[in-house]
Amino acid sequence: MTPAIAIDNLTKDFRIPGAKQRLRAVESLSLTIEQGGIYGLLGPNGSGKSTTIKIVLGLLSPSSGDCRVFDLPSSNPAARKRVGYLPEAPYFQRFLTGRELLQYFGRLSGLSRERLHERIDSLLARVGLEDAGDRRIGAYSKGMLQRIGMAQALIGDPELLILDEPTAGVDPVGAADIATLIMGLKEEGKTILLCSHLLSQVEAICDRVAIMGKGRLLREGTIESLTRDAGDGALRIEGLASGARAEIEALAVERGGEVVRSSKSLEDLFLELARSDGEETEQ
Amino acid sequence: MSEASQSLAWSFSRAFAIASNTFREAVRMKLFLAMTTLAICSLASSFFFREFNFGSSELKFITDFGFGGMSVFGSALAVIVSAQLFYGEIEHRTAMTLLAKPIHRSEFVLGKFMGAWSTVLCFLAMLTLCLIAALWWRETSLMAEYPDSFQSGRIVQYGSLLGFAFAQALRIGILCSVVILFSTYASSSLFAMVMGVLIWIVGQLQHIATEAWGAVDSWILKGIYAFVSYALPNLHLFDVGEGAALGENLSLVLYAKLAAYALLYGTFYLAIASASFNRREL
Repeated sequence: MTPAIAIDNLTKDFRIPGAKQRLRAVESLSLTIEQGGIYGLLGPNGSGKSTTIKIVLGLLSPSSGDCRVFDLPSSNPAARKRVGYLPEAPYFQRFLTGRELLQYFGRLSGLSRERLHERIDSLLARVGLEDAGDRRIGAYSKGMLQRIGMAQALIGDPELLILDEPTAGVDPVGAADIATLIMGLKEEGKTILLCSHLLSQVEAICDRVAIMGKGRLLREGTIESLTRDAGDGALRIEGLASGARAEIEALAVERGGEVVRSSKSLEDLFLELARSDGEETEQ
Repeated sequence: MSEASQSLAWSFSRAFAIASNTFREAVRMKLFLAMTTLAICSLASSFFFREFNFGSSELKFITDFGFGGMSVFGSALAVIVSAQLFYGEIEHRTAMTLLAKPIHRSEFVLGKFMGAWSTVLCFLAMLTLCLIAALWWRETSLMAEYPDSFQSGRIVQYGSLLGFAFAQALRIGILCSVVILFSTYASSSLFAMVMGVLIWIVGQLQHIATEAWGAVDSWILKGIYAFVSYALPNLHLFDVGEGAALGENLSLVLYAKLAAYALLYGTFYLAIASASFNRREL
């Protein structure tokens, strides 16, 4: 099956006005995101996530390397027929109502007038904005903006959804609702590329993750493999005297048992990678 | 399936969707209302000159005021609206969400141009209607007051007023396309507005460069004059107000030539704008 996104040796440099040298935002990045499932793209601020997403969406062009979406160059507008995008801060025309915004983006996505009305009603209901559809977006709360953003990303029924911080500024209940919506989309067979700083949520819903730092790929794999590989071998035993602990370990092995080492959480791994990457750069 | 067969066909319907949304935004901007009010007030102010009792020449005075309002406020609105509506999408980052949809950037450029131009056309239409109504009402009063001056009937050429409005619509179309061209690579809407005003002024004086072209010996100056003559539009051509105000009927051929001239320059600037915007990184 054709990968949803195939990035090969991608590098992106930005010109700095008035300076000879260029700023390297992404360096030799290679990533393959297969169809189906939820893929998390993680990294601290300035790690190159947004630049990578913009290249995937054709908003930026790579300095070198290749980026393909469903086997089409990301610069080809046809590639975006199968893509929906929710931006980090919801950048929408504030003078429009929620319904008008969906009509506008629906028309741009090539939906017929009949299909559009039906789709708008169902999407407003799906994101819980059926009562706010005729209100101006300028009067929406942050949570409502994220929800109308989800609706506009879904208007063209895309196969690939790129969600940049979908829960930013949303209260815990709203964030849980969005997570449920994302899980539902996965069950419908959609591919989701999720950028989020909410690591517990990423850990709960993503199948695979890539962790970026300073424009480079630091780790990539399933959450289970990443956290297991990164486990520090600590054995947590509570309520025992120190001497008894060694006896218990020895006994476990002697009896044919296995001492299961505790693994790190994704959050621990992320922080460790981000910090060590920062220290390496300083040196 | 080959990549060529998976290309996205260029669509006027998407460009129209962008244009209608741009128009809606412009109408909801308070600026549009402010400019229209200002222009109508300037037209209404011409009625104060009734105190001087100009008789039938008062009609020419009102016409000149109306034409001035259409030309000056129309051009100012074209510069501001085009820069604001195009660059505003980049500044407020709404262009990112929009261009992440399956659309060509040239559709975006054309849609923005059509939206901005139709906004100024609305303004011109309103002002033209106000001018015609004002002139009709005043001419009727003067006909009753000075019947000797109107023995051969009404003296205002209302068809020529529409002709003048048409010429201004074309001139403003060129101006909108120039401002959109500058907005495609500008780093602020102010830059696009300043460049738009400069082109407006230079365009009004372009005929001087054309005349000077043949008169100078220096090749450098000849080159500069040639560039100004060909690359910049001669906006002075659209100043048909004097003839219309004097009651002179302008030929349809002249309007057709003006339309062809505007189409040529408008297409030229929008083609460059599309090429420039295609390279722009958002």
